[in-house]
Amino acid sequence: MAAARALPSDKPVNQMQSPDPGQNYFELLGLKPVFDIDASELHAAQQRLQATYHPDRHVGANPADRRASVQMASWINQAYETLRDPVKRSRYLLEINGANMPDESATTGDAEFLMEQLELREAVDGCRESDQPLDCCERIETRLEQRAGELAAEFVSLVEAGQLDEAVESSRKMQFIQRIQQQLSELQFELEDA
Amino acid sequence: MALLQISEPGESSAPHQHCLAVGIDLGTTNSLVATLRSGEAVCLTDEQQRSLLPSVVHFASGNEPLVGYEAQALQGDDPTNTVASVKRLMGRGSHDVKRLADVMPYNFVDTEGSSVPRVRTAAGDFSAVEISSEILKSLARRASQSLGGNPEGVVITVPAYFDDAQRQATRDAATLAGLNLYRLLNEPTAAAVAYGLDSAAEGLIAVYDLGGGTFDISLLRLKRGVFEVLSTGGDSSLGGDDMDHALGEWIIEQSGFEAVDTSLARRILLAARRAKEELTAADTAAIEIEHRGQSWRGEIERETFDALIQPLIGKTLTACRRALRDAGVDKQEIGEVVMVGGSTRVPLVQTLVGEFFDRKPMCDLDPDQVVALGAAIQADILAGNKPDSEMLLLDVLPLSLGIETMGGLAEKIIERNSAIPVSRAQEFTTFKDGQTAMSIHVVQGERELVSDCRSLARFELRGFPPMVAGAARIRVTYQVDADGLMSVSAEETTSGVTADIVVKPSYGLTDSEIETMLRASMEHARDDVDLRMLREQQVEGRRVIEAIDAAMAQDGHILTTQEQKRIGECRDALEAALEDADAEELKNLIAKLEKASESYVARRMDESVRQVLGGKQIDEVDLR
Repeated sequence: MAAARALPSDKPVNQMQSPDPGQNYFELLGLKPVFDIDASELHAAQQRLQATYHPDRHVGANPADRRASVQMASWINQAYETLRDPVKRSRYLLEINGANMPDESATTGDAEFLMEQLELREAVDGCRESDQPLDCCERIETRLEQRAGELAAEFVSLVEAGQLDEAVESSRKMQFIQRIQQQLSELQFELEDA
Repeated sequence: MALLQISEPGESSAPHQHCLAVGIDLGTTNSLVATLRSGEAVCLTDEQQRSLLPSVVHFASGNEPLVGYEAQALQGDDPTNTVASVKRLMGRGSHDVKRLADVMPYNFVDTEGSSVPRVRTAAGDFSAVEISSEILKSLARRASQSLGGNPEGVVITVPAYFDDAQRQATRDAATLAGLNLYRLLNEPTAAAVAYGLDSAAEGLIAVYDLGGGTFDISLLRLKRGVFEVLSTGGDSSLGGDDMDHALGEWIIEQSGFEAVDTSLARRILLAARRAKEELTAADTAAIEIEHRGQSWRGEIERETFDALIQPLIGKTLTACRRALRDAGVDKQEIGEVVMVGGSTRVPLVQTLVGEFFDRKPMCDLDPDQVVALGAAIQADILAGNKPDSEMLLLDVLPLSLGIETMGGLAEKIIERNSAIPVSRAQEFTTFKDGQTAMSIHVVQGERELVSDCRSLARFELRGFPPMVAGAARIRVTYQVDADGLMSVSAEETTSGVTADIVVKPSYGLTDSEIETMLRASMEHARDDVDLRMLREQQVEGRRVIEAIDAAMAQDGHILTTQEQKRIGECRDALEAALEDADAEELKNLIAKLEKASESYVARRMDESVRQVLGGKQIDEVDLR
C-alpha cells in the first residue's frame, strides 16, 4: 500500500518512476483491497496517475520512455476498468485472496437461484407484450438493482468471514444478475427507439 | 553537448524555443488549420482571408493537384477528376466504395496487390490517403507561410466514431504529407477543449457534431482540467451532404429534368447547398439551374426543406439516445450541449437538438472553426509550450476489438468505451504437432458475427518452435495506443521466442505501399526534411555561438592568445555561414568550433572546480 501512495503525482513528468510489477490493482491505485470502494476516489486515483504516466505527458521523450508510458498508462486503465465494474472487482478480489476461480462460463449449482434467474429472464421478455412496456422494464430494473445490492452485501460478509468458496458463488450470481441487467438495458433501448 | 554543461549553476540557459504547432481539422467538406497566437487560438487564413479550405482536390494531367476553392470551382465541369468528400473513403475497401458509387461519381480501380481502391484521374490513380495528404500539404503550406516556418508538429482531428482502419489511414496521410503527427484527437473532444478554456465549467457535456459527411455524438465529463470521453456514437456517413442530396432529389422531382448526368447532378447539388445555406436566415430560397439547354427556376420554403431533412435529424437523435445509455447518463444530467459543424447552423437542427436535451445548445464559437481551434490548443500543449498546463485528454475506444473464433464468431478482446491506452493479452495453443505458425483475424465492431464486423487485419504469427499439439503457449498482446490505434505482439511463453508478425491490413495501405508513395513524392518530402534539418542546425549554431560568447566574456583570460584566435575564427566562420550554408555544412562548422574549444571546456571545468575549492590547486586536493 505504501508503495502505491508513494507514486508521484506531483513529480516532474519526465522522472517516471518505474512501477513495482508485483503491485495489484488496488495497490497501484492506492485503494484498500475491499469490495466497497468509493467510485469517485477510484476515478480520482486513475486520473492522478494518468496525469503522470499518460503518453501525452511524454510527447518529446525517447522511444523507450514513450513505450514505457503507453504500457504504464495501459496498466492503470486496466486496473481502473477492472475495479470499476462490481462483478470484475469481486472476481479480482477473490483472485488476489487466493480463491479457486472457476472460469467465467461456469454455471451455478444453486437450484433456487437457477429458478429465480429463469423467472427474471421471462419477466424481461414479458415486458415486450406488456401494455406499458417501459414501466414494466423499470419495475424489473428496480428489482434487479435490489438483488444486485443483496448479493454484494452477501459477498462482502462472506469475504470478511474468510468463506471464499461461498464468496465465489455469490460473485457468480452477481454476474448472472448483471447479464440480465444488460439484456434489460438492450430491450429498453429497443423500446425507446421504436 | 559539452558547452551546455559548463554553464554555471543559476546561470540561465537559452530560453525555451517556442515550437510552432498547429491543429488541423481534416473535414469531409472543409478543412482548417489553427494555431495559438499570443495565447489565443486562431484559424489561419489564405490570401483572401478565408479560413475554410474546401476538402476538394482536382487532378489534371501534368500539373500539380489543385486543392480548395480552385478545385471546387472545377467540380461541375470536371467531376471525375475532382475528388470531394474523400474522408468518406478513408480506410475503406473496394466493397464499401461500391456502396458509395451513387454518391461519388468517380472511377474506382483496384490495384494489383493492394487492398485499397484508387480513384482514376487524368493525372493517375490515387488512394484516399494520397488525396487527403494533398489537403494536408496545402494546409501545411498555409501554416508555413503565415507562421514563417514549418510547424514542428500537428494534431489532426478525426471523428470519435472512426475505426482503426480510418485512423490508420489518417495517420498515413500525415506521414505522406511530411507532417510530424503529435496526436490524433477526437473532433468532439477538440470542440470541448475549445470551449473548456473559455468556461472552466465542471460537468457532463454532450457534443453534437453534424458536419458535411459525418455525425458524432460524444458525451464528455469535464473535471479539473481533465476531459474524459464517456461514450461516443454516431454515423460516419451522415451529414450536411445528405441534406444536399435530399434537397437535390426534390429539385430533380420538381424540375422534371431528364437525363441527369454527373455534371448536371453536380450543379443541382451546388444549387441545393446554396439554398440550404440561404434557408438558415431566410424563410424561402430561390433556386436557379441552367445546364446545356435544360433550365429550371423554383423556390423552396423552409417548411418544405425541414420536412425533407427531418428523418436525417431523427437518425442523429437516435444515436444521441444510445450514447446516453452507453454512458449510463440521463438526459437531465447533461450540463452543456456544444454544437459543432457547419450543418448545426440549420435552424431545425438547433430546434430539435434543443428540444431533445431540453436546453439551449451552445454555439458561441464558429461551429466550423471550433474543432480546429481545440486541436490548436492541444497541439500547443503537446509541443511543450505550456509546461504548466494540467490539461489531459483521456479517451475511450470507440468500437470493440475482437478476434475471429470457430464458426465465424467474433470474440471481444477489448470492449468499446474502455479507457485508452489499453492492452490485453490472450493465450493460444497449437492444435497440431509441430505447428509453427498461426493466423489471427482481428475485427472491430459490436456484432456477434465476424461478417457483420469490420475486418481490420490478419496477423500471421510465425517462427515459434515446433512442439507437441497443445504444448505451446502463445501469448498475444493487443495494444491500443492513445490515438486508438492497435498493434499486436506475440510470444511463445514456454520458450520465450517472439513470433514474427506479418500484418495484412484489410482496408489499409501496407508499409511498403506507403514507402512507394513517399518515394513518389520524394521531391517535396525531401525539401521538407532538408528544410527542417537546416532549421535545426541554424538553431543549434546560434546556441553554440551564444554559449561560446558568454563563456569567453566570463573567463576568456584562461586561454592563450593563439587559442582565442583559433576559437574566434571558427566562431566567426559559423556565424557567417548561418544564413546561407546548408544543413550539412553548418553541422561541420559546429563540429569544428566544438573541437577548437575542447581544451577550453576542460580547463573551464578545472577552473570552476578550483573556484569552488577556494583557490586551491587542483593537484593539491585528494580526489580519491
